[in-house]
Amino acid sequence: MSDKVFTNITRRGFLGTSLGGAAMLAAGPSFAVGKTLNVLSHKVHQTVLGSGSGDGDLLKDWRTGNDAEIVWTTFDSNPLQDRLFREASLNTTDFNVGYIVDNRPTKQIAAMFEPLDSYLEKDAIEDFGDIAPGLVQGMTVDGKLIGIPVRHATQGLFYNEALLEEQGISAPPTTLEELVEQAQKLTFTSKAGTPVAGMVLASDLAVFPVMFARAFGGDFINAKFELLPNPEAMEKGLTVLRKMFESGALPRSYATTKNDDQVTWLQQGRAAFTVLPFARNAQLNNKEQSKFPGKIKAIEFPISSDLKGKVPMSSIVEAWGMVIPANSKDKELSWKFIKEVSSKRVTLGMARNGNGPVRVSTYADQSFVNNPVAAVEAEVLKNARGAFPPFPEAARAQSIFLEEVQLAVLGRKEIKEAVASIATRVKPLLQA
Amino acid sequence: MRLNKITEALPFLAPVQILILSVIVIPSLYVVWLSLNASSFGQSATFVGLDNYIRVLTDPAFLLALGNTVLIVIFAVHLELALGLGMALLFASGLPFRRVLLVAVLAPYAVSEVIAVAMWRFLFDPDVGPVTAMLTWLGLPMLDWSFEPSHALIMIGLLTIWLHLPFTFIILYAARLAIPKDLYEAARIDGATAFDAFRRVTIPLLGPAIVVALLFRYIFAFRIFSEVWLMTQGGPARSTEVVAVYLYQEAFSFNAFGTAAATAWIMVLASLLLATGYVFLLRKQVAGNVH
Amino acid sequence: MCTDKLAIGLGKTVAVAVILVWSLFPITFILMSSFKPGQDIFAVPPKFVFSPTIQHYVELWNGWGVFFGGLLNSTIITAGATVLAITTSTAAGYVYSRYSSRMLNASVMFLIIVRLIPPIVVTLPLFPIINAIGLNDTHIVLMVLYATFFVSLGTVLMRTFIDQIPRELDEAAQIDGAGRLTILRRVIVPLAAPGILAVAVFVVVFAWNEFLFAFIFTATRAKTAPLVISEMIGSIDGVDWGVLFAASTVQLIPVLLFVIFMNRYLVAGLTAGATKG
Repeated sequence: MSDKVFTNITRRGFLGTSLGGAAMLAAGPSFAVGKTLNVLSHKVHQTVLGSGSGDGDLLKDWRTGNDAEIVWTTFDSNPLQDRLFREASLNTTDFNVGYIVDNRPTKQIAAMFEPLDSYLEKDAIEDFGDIAPGLVQGMTVDGKLIGIPVRHATQGLFYNEALLEEQGISAPPTTLEELVEQAQKLTFTSKAGTPVAGMVLASDLAVFPVMFARAFGGDFINAKFELLPNPEAMEKGLTVLRKMFESGALPRSYATTKNDDQVTWLQQGRAAFTVLPFARNAQLNNKEQSKFPGKIKAIEFPISSDLKGKVPMSSIVEAWGMVIPANSKDKELSWKFIKEVSSKRVTLGMARNGNGPVRVSTYADQSFVNNPVAAVEAEVLKNARGAFPPFPEAARAQSIFLEEVQLAVLGRKEIKEAVASIATRVKPLLQA
Repeated sequence: MRLNKITEALPFLAPVQILILSVIVIPSLYVVWLSLNASSFGQSATFVGLDNYIRVLTDPAFLLALGNTVLIVIFAVHLELALGLGMALLFASGLPFRRVLLVAVLAPYAVSEVIAVAMWRFLFDPDVGPVTAMLTWLGLPMLDWSFEPSHALIMIGLLTIWLHLPFTFIILYAARLAIPKDLYEAARIDGATAFDAFRRVTIPLLGPAIVVALLFRYIFAFRIFSEVWLMTQGGPARSTEVVAVYLYQEAFSFNAFGTAAATAWIMVLASLLLATGYVFLLRKQVAGNVH
Repeated sequence: MCTDKLAIGLGKTVAVAVILVWSLFPITFILMSSFKPGQDIFAVPPKFVFSPTIQHYVELWNGWGVFFGGLLNSTIITAGATVLAITTSTAAGYVYSRYSSRMLNASVMFLIIVRLIPPIVVTLPLFPIINAIGLNDTHIVLMVLYATFFVSLGTVLMRTFIDQIPRELDEAAQIDGAGRLTILRRVIVPLAAPGILAVAVFVVVFAWNEFLFAFIFTATRAKTAPLVISEMIGSIDGVDWGVLFAASTVQLIPVLLFVIFMNRYLVAGLTAGATKG
């Protein structure tokens, strides 16, 4: 009984009761519409839609057309997935649409989300065949399509050209060894008086150590579920990271650095190199946020000199899909949202705002081809693959991996020991 | 008291007891059952006996978390007690504007853990924090909390002290005010020095209050979660995790409800153990109140 | 002798200054920074003189509508939890004060022992249960949780305060033909008002600031202000510290004023709570 009373109290409901301060709240822009669509995502997914930025808002017409307000709840990548699965495991959830990364949907997880094939049949997405089939495959579990691809993020190496020039470096690195050398040189105090770190990397994502291992031909868990297929390569990769940390080329706050910090540090000229999705190019060079608009460039992450020219660098690509929790309400509205976001117009608009487009046609669009990194990205994408494949204990495996990596990089554990311990600790999780 | 009066009183007692039974007691007992099973999302529970307890107690991450929790309890709580005691004596020795000062000391009590963490993270930010800048300017080493686990623990400890010092201070201050003035008068006439008076009068008479403040803070510091979660999330490399954060990770990041439940019961038992002395003291008081 | 006094006076002044800086510096610094223009927030050395601006509050208003929703939720939940905790613990405290038996004493002990159970322990089983009865992400869940974790302290506190009300007053009312409930309402409640306010201070401060339960049991509809602020900490883009400080200020000021005005009851409650329960 009382439960009903309280669940029915919404912000709108309260306005009617002329509660103190309600008049003030009414002035807020987001209170004056009929329906609410709750979206659970990473901040970047919201940003690329240009929400809240007036004319740049790609979904403005959709919102008025459907008389619906979009409310975003955003978290960093890992907490986002925790939250999404927790919400989907409930009887009902208020979240209408969630964003899932392609290395998480296992059988058990996929079962918590609405199969989308029938939606697609009833109310098709504009030119669905145009969406990269590989990405659609990644969102298909047990023959069921559970997510519509919305973003792919191919990791590239970003550098601040102005800082490189300041230290007399005329060309970006072509091998990993050169990258390390340049990063050391770029650990200095710039003319502007800013202390610069050679490179900034988040420590809570497997992506970065895996990239360094791949530069030596190694991996964490490959697509065939082989754990540490080349342990020596992982050791070499971690040795490089550790040396960079010891020399200050990775900042001292490495252990608490988050994904968003990488963007800020590069924009502020506090770091010369970072590894981020190519799609971040627009944001990094944004005139309003960045102190170095137009000066931040991207190239393929360089492979080690031993392997250069022998094998291609296999960078990491991650894809995000939009899912509808099976326990959510008003799935029709969710589907309308997904349909709109997947349309050619919005896909292109998001790409301009710094989203890795999932449509092949976007790459053919003139206004996007002018994007300086599109060609590089297309080249890197040919050899790119995920950081690790989905399996039930993937979250714990990633956490163990990162714990050992951090210990090794911070110099608290011998690298050999750390790699050996990744092997013994993760192995049982793969068998489970 | 006759039985009919007790039944008459039941409706007054029922709401409190129902709340406590349904929200705390029964769920806690359910945790016992959970802790004897292995379960996760979309996976039915299977009975595994004490397996979860063995797993947790042999997990190096748990032992580290336990060690960190104990460190925080020991260092932060005792330092807080010493500070609180010093402040109580200072206030009792007579200060101008005592009421205003008292309110100033109470202020951190109003601050949410979330905001306290935001404040402290900013003040001690290794790159832009004003306190860091001040320390560097004074030629002192900065608190390198984002890198050194020990510094991160110090930072968490300081934050905990900052948030809870008002509590410890008030308890000790009230107890100090309750000591009759004549006792000090008598000590002075007997030729006792200020230090003698402190040792012979203040400490013995504050004893019970000190014990109460300590035990309260032991129990509450042992469950510390928000400060750590919001400050470091247990990092770097899980080195600043505490037991409650370990529990959260098991339950809500890895969805391993069995080991999470086992951790929960280990926490309950540890709290009970910490509190036995306290309960023993209170039993005397409850008995005292009967008359 | 005179220099001694001077030295003591000086020592005390220094000690008081240190205490004031320790308690108030972090708070004032954040309040101040919320009015600083963006670039001044990071100024080294920190600026204490600056031209105040409300730009961060404007940004907060325009960009974080969800924060104001959170404030409203916090207000509803705090009010509900406080009323629930006060009514239930006053009733129980009354009985514990006026009756005594082996059973009742045992149940007081039980209330005290229950306080020892860490809140995070019950999140684990309550999560599926609350979900099963469809109460997830509602105000009522947090009201009940917050009230429950304070009713044991509340009951013991109320007993202590009601103990100080002479029994003769109840008896006189009883002779006039008043029932238990009438006595509680007409005699006890008015005289135990300081105790009720003490309990209220505890519950209000706790419910307004709580993080863990809100973090686990709410998603969108019942999200409280501290939770929104924690999300701001998580998704901050470096330059947004000003907005974070503005939000912190808005969340902090009401509860800070409340504690300042109610400091007498807080002190009375802490003292009684610590020595009796």
